[in-house]
Amino acid sequence: MPVRPTRAEAQADLEHGEIVIVLARWLLIVVGVFLLILKPASHVAELRFQIALILLLAFVNFFLHAQLLKRHSLPRMLAYGASALDLLVVTILVLSQGGDSPIFVLYFPALVALSVAFEPVMTLGYTVATACLYGAIAATQMPTGLQAAPIVLTRVLTLTGVAFCGGVYWRVERDRRRRVERSLS
Amino acid sequence: MSISAERQLEQEAAEDIFFGQVVMIWARWFLIVAGAIFFLWTAQATTELALGVLPIIALMAVNFYLHGRYYLERPSNMLQILTASAIDIGLVSAIVLLWHSDTVGGRTGLASPFFVFYYPVLLAFAFVAPRRLTVVFTAATAAIYTTICIADVTSITTAKILVLRLATMAAMGALGTFYWRIQRDRRRMGLALTS
Repeated sequence: MPVRPTRAEAQADLEHGEIVIVLARWLLIVVGVFLLILKPASHVAELRFQIALILLLAFVNFFLHAQLLKRHSLPRMLAYGASALDLLVVTILVLSQGGDSPIFVLYFPALVALSVAFEPVMTLGYTVATACLYGAIAATQMPTGLQAAPIVLTRVLTLTGVAFCGGVYWRVERDRRRRVERSLS
Repeated sequence: MSISAERQLEQEAAEDIFFGQVVMIWARWFLIVAGAIFFLWTAQATTELALGVLPIIALMAVNFYLHGRYYLERPSNMLQILTASAIDIGLVSAIVLLWHSDTVGGRTGLASPFFVFYYPVLLAFAFVAPRRLTVVFTAATAAIYTTICIADVTSITTAKILVLRLATMAAMGALGTFYWRIQRDRRRMGLALTS
């Protein structure tokens, strides 16, 4: 049984999984707006930039959601780009608040959503990039008095863990579908 | 509903558990590795280390048992899975509530960095269990975490942190169960098309 999905399989997986990414992104937007509005940042320029990022994400998501509602299949590169944008926005928000920013938890839904929609090799790429980027930011900008390494390592491991679980489940389901197809053919 | 249709649904639910439980097992291994690294790194006294390693050993014992059964093709039933997941949540909650280490700022409750361990457990459970059970399990976990942290919510900033964590925990359950449902519909559609 081939390990990597065929092109048609990968496209079908993306079509079925993209709605999970879109919903996760709406959650990210709602939570992001909530965080920005309730006790906003003290600098206007910082808040302006954060709101602009969230609005950009909302526009992108509306476009993608509209494509799904119209039953148009999404080009793979567009889906990959939008997921990269999600992770980039979360990283920028974390960066603006420092290494111990509580916003890093927004990586969890973003990684879970892409891990069930994309083939595992893509998930691996996104997860490694996120773990390295966040690890570097958190390790270098952790407030003094805290031992950064165990905290950062624990966070990075659990982020990797959820993406890995998504990838394992993706594979379990693909094997189940193939088994059903084989038994019926 | 006819008897054969009912039997088909039962078989489908059993297969969900049979095939899906490996995700839960892997999620627990991640929890064990992350927990072990954290405890070994941050404990500063022998008593602290001895106590800290106890939940890790308990989780390892549970996971060895479940993984062994999986390899023997004698997978666990729903009750065993539910019990193991409840143990995971209980242990993580106990760590969040009680584990105190000066190297991480002596933090428990809302300030404890261990809350991240809830995420893989909630996600893996949502991938395997039916929707109603996932909703109950996720809500119960959120309620436990809120109870542990509520005393630490003393300002808007801390309230924001708690809400953010609860929302993302709920997202683990919601996204997991949503994808579980998509996959179930996909399989059924495949079966209907080929039959």
